[in-house]
Amino acid sequence: MRNLLGSALGGMALAVSLALALPALADDTLDRGIGSEWSSLDPQVNFDAAAGWIQMDAYEGLVTFDGTGKVIPGAAESWDVSADGKTYTFHLRDGLKWSNGDPLVAQDFVNGILRTLNPETASEKGYYFYSVIQVKGAKAIADGETKDAATLGVTAPDARTVVVEMETPNPHMLDIMGGFQVAPLHSPSFAADGAGVFIDPAKVVTNGAYMFKEVVPQSHVLLVKNPNYWDAANVKIPQVRYLVTEDVNTELKRYQAGEIDITYDIPVNQIEALKASVPAEVSIGPSTEVTYYSFNLQRPPLDNIDVRRALSLAIDRETLQAKIVKGGAIPSYSYAGGFDPDYHGPQIAEATMAQADRDAMAKELLAKAGYGPDNPLKLKIVTTVAEDRVRLAQGVALMWKKTLGVEASVDSMERKAWLDAFYAGDWDVFGDNLVGDFAGAETFLAYMRPSAEPGYNWVKPEYDAAMDVAAEEVDPVARNEKLAAAEKILLDDSIFAPIAIEPTRHMVSPHVKGWSTSAAGYNNTQFLSLE
Amino acid sequence: MLRFIGKRLWDGGLTLAALVTLTFFVMRLAPGGPFSKSRKISPEVLANIQKTYHLDEPIWMQFARYVKGLATFDLGPSTRFRDYSVGDMIASGLPWSVTIGIWAILVATLVGIALGVAGAMRRNSATDYAAGIVGVVGVAVPIFVIGPLMQVIFALRLGWVPVGGIAEGWRALILPVLVLALPNIAYISRLTRSSMIETLRENYVRTARAKGIGEGRVVRGHALKGTLLPVIAYLGPATAAIITGSILIETIFALPGIGRHFVDAALNRDYPLVMGITLLYGALLILLNIVTDLIRAWIDPRLRNGR
Repeated sequence: MRNLLGSALGGMALAVSLALALPALADDTLDRGIGSEWSSLDPQVNFDAAAGWIQMDAYEGLVTFDGTGKVIPGAAESWDVSADGKTYTFHLRDGLKWSNGDPLVAQDFVNGILRTLNPETASEKGYYFYSVIQVKGAKAIADGETKDAATLGVTAPDARTVVVEMETPNPHMLDIMGGFQVAPLHSPSFAADGAGVFIDPAKVVTNGAYMFKEVVPQSHVLLVKNPNYWDAANVKIPQVRYLVTEDVNTELKRYQAGEIDITYDIPVNQIEALKASVPAEVSIGPSTEVTYYSFNLQRPPLDNIDVRRALSLAIDRETLQAKIVKGGAIPSYSYAGGFDPDYHGPQIAEATMAQADRDAMAKELLAKAGYGPDNPLKLKIVTTVAEDRVRLAQGVALMWKKTLGVEASVDSMERKAWLDAFYAGDWDVFGDNLVGDFAGAETFLAYMRPSAEPGYNWVKPEYDAAMDVAAEEVDPVARNEKLAAAEKILLDDSIFAPIAIEPTRHMVSPHVKGWSTSAAGYNNTQFLSLE
Repeated sequence: MLRFIGKRLWDGGLTLAALVTLTFFVMRLAPGGPFSKSRKISPEVLANIQKTYHLDEPIWMQFARYVKGLATFDLGPSTRFRDYSVGDMIASGLPWSVTIGIWAILVATLVGIALGVAGAMRRNSATDYAAGIVGVVGVAVPIFVIGPLMQVIFALRLGWVPVGGIAEGWRALILPVLVLALPNIAYISRLTRSSMIETLRENYVRTARAKGIGEGRVVRGHALKGTLLPVIAYLGPATAAIITGSILIETIFALPGIGRHFVDAALNRDYPLVMGITLLYGALLILLNIVTDLIRAWIDPRLRNGR
């Protein structure tokens, strides 16, 4: 362990020297906000989407994403899929190199996945390989049952071939392989310095379009172009700086002062003013985060589907987003895939009705269940303390009060407490939200399986069965159709009220070219340019 | 004197021990844990991660482990910032907090005393009223109002300084130092003014004047020393408060100081990091109080002889 006093003094000297130096703000640097600090720069450990941007620039997977979220070849130039859809064979490009010039080989990708699954790594994202996609042998390694690398369904038969074998077919495996979940591992540097190597710009070795130059906790990460990247000739921006931007108002001011080119977020109360003054710089699009209000099926009268439907109907989703929350979220009447153009899922039955008709129907349903103005239903909504979440909950409570006479109280709690409260079951209505593992409907529908998430206390063998059917389907179009059939079962039970698809919100400077909104949330710097 | 210091250090040690114990156990009462981030992680994997960080052990064993670590100055690993130990995080954040803290207290002391003396010498003059207004504004307007306001004026409109961050070196520290100093300028100037007015009425000042010494020398050579006693008493705790209380400043100006680690750590249930920073803040407060007492004793013979 490092001597605390010594390092404090050293750090102090560093800060003084940093404070005295006056580096010129180079115009060849793209400055991007990333919100709160990354929790880790270790490619096998990091679990944050925002830190994922840094990783997508520094490391390249077998495949990657273009600015719109489409899967494109990455380190692999092509791949074959077996007829049963369970085996993917990736062919690496010729002459791939790490940033230090070492050859990049297929085994490096295998090692990356092995290290993610290794319990000693204590990585939270091993589940991508045994839950989101079912790679053979992944679960046994993650649970510590075996350490034998040969049991894993990810292998490198030769230096330029990676083979991934899955238990069930899954076309979304490409989304996983391209994400920041699957970086290769440069074994020599990791073996020499352990996990500390990933925050040491002098030692860390990367294979992406960029490599590390500076890492300052709570401040920034500076990346520079990697000359050994296979497509370095087409990487236009020489440097990219990821800045920790915890305070969203400060971030906007820094953007306006020209200190930041692309923000992490936009303050909700500024969106309208910015849209009016600089419409071309406001980039708002759907993300893979879905907001829905779950009902506690174990608490009467919420076990009564009429009550749940009434509550869902009485929420005027358009008014809620346009007049109350005003954060740019998209009102939603379904659960999964509102951002996935290839998925044509169902909506709740009353989606096409006018709100006045829905309100009338809601009153009727609630009266049928025995509640009305003289016998008001009392509910507790549990949500997080984030400003827009609280406003959303208050808006819903207000609509329930106005339309149905329901007396709903809003209990807002800090995020960790909110997560705990879910399993404690101390709620009637849970202000729920889910971020997809990839930009597809399946990630949401798989999560709602009663067998996968017991917290909803939803008993529905038909749903699990319908999902099992979809999981066996190889053809992506037919698979989406089967998923849609499953979603119908889900929506018909009204175990939650769908509310909205949350947006990605960025201010993008006019100097930045090549930017587009992406639900997957990947905007690799290598596809951008500065003017 | 040495016995006095020894006793104060011993008391401080006891206070810290109580602080460590209390914080350790109270922190665990908060719902959620460092790794409850998402509902999608399987219980087996979560258990593995907990084991790596010894969170599966009974709490008294975790406490014993922590205290044992403390004995070797090992504050443990950070669970929020997975790449760093608590020692690393403090080492990276503390210099920034200390740098802006010390500059702020310097500015506050110099400007505050100057304003206070000026006000006392020319009571009810324009200078006095101006100092009074600065005082009221500095104390009454909170940092989260004045900070963004100054950003808009000096960074966005005038472009003299950056809005935030550390990319532009010392220029980035000007606004945070000023904003942090402002309430203290206000307080110190009021303190100095009233203290100076009182001192100027003292017999020894009258004697000095009677000897025909010029007013400037009377103030500088005789009155100032007496005037500064309450200011110095205030400076110790104020320095600690400035260094530990710069959380808002660090957030508003996007500075990588320790205050932000503290908030982030608490929200993310990073037990070791919360412990480490609490311990540091506690030690800082105790030390600065001891130093203040020593300086007061050195300036004021009455305090020395009283003990």
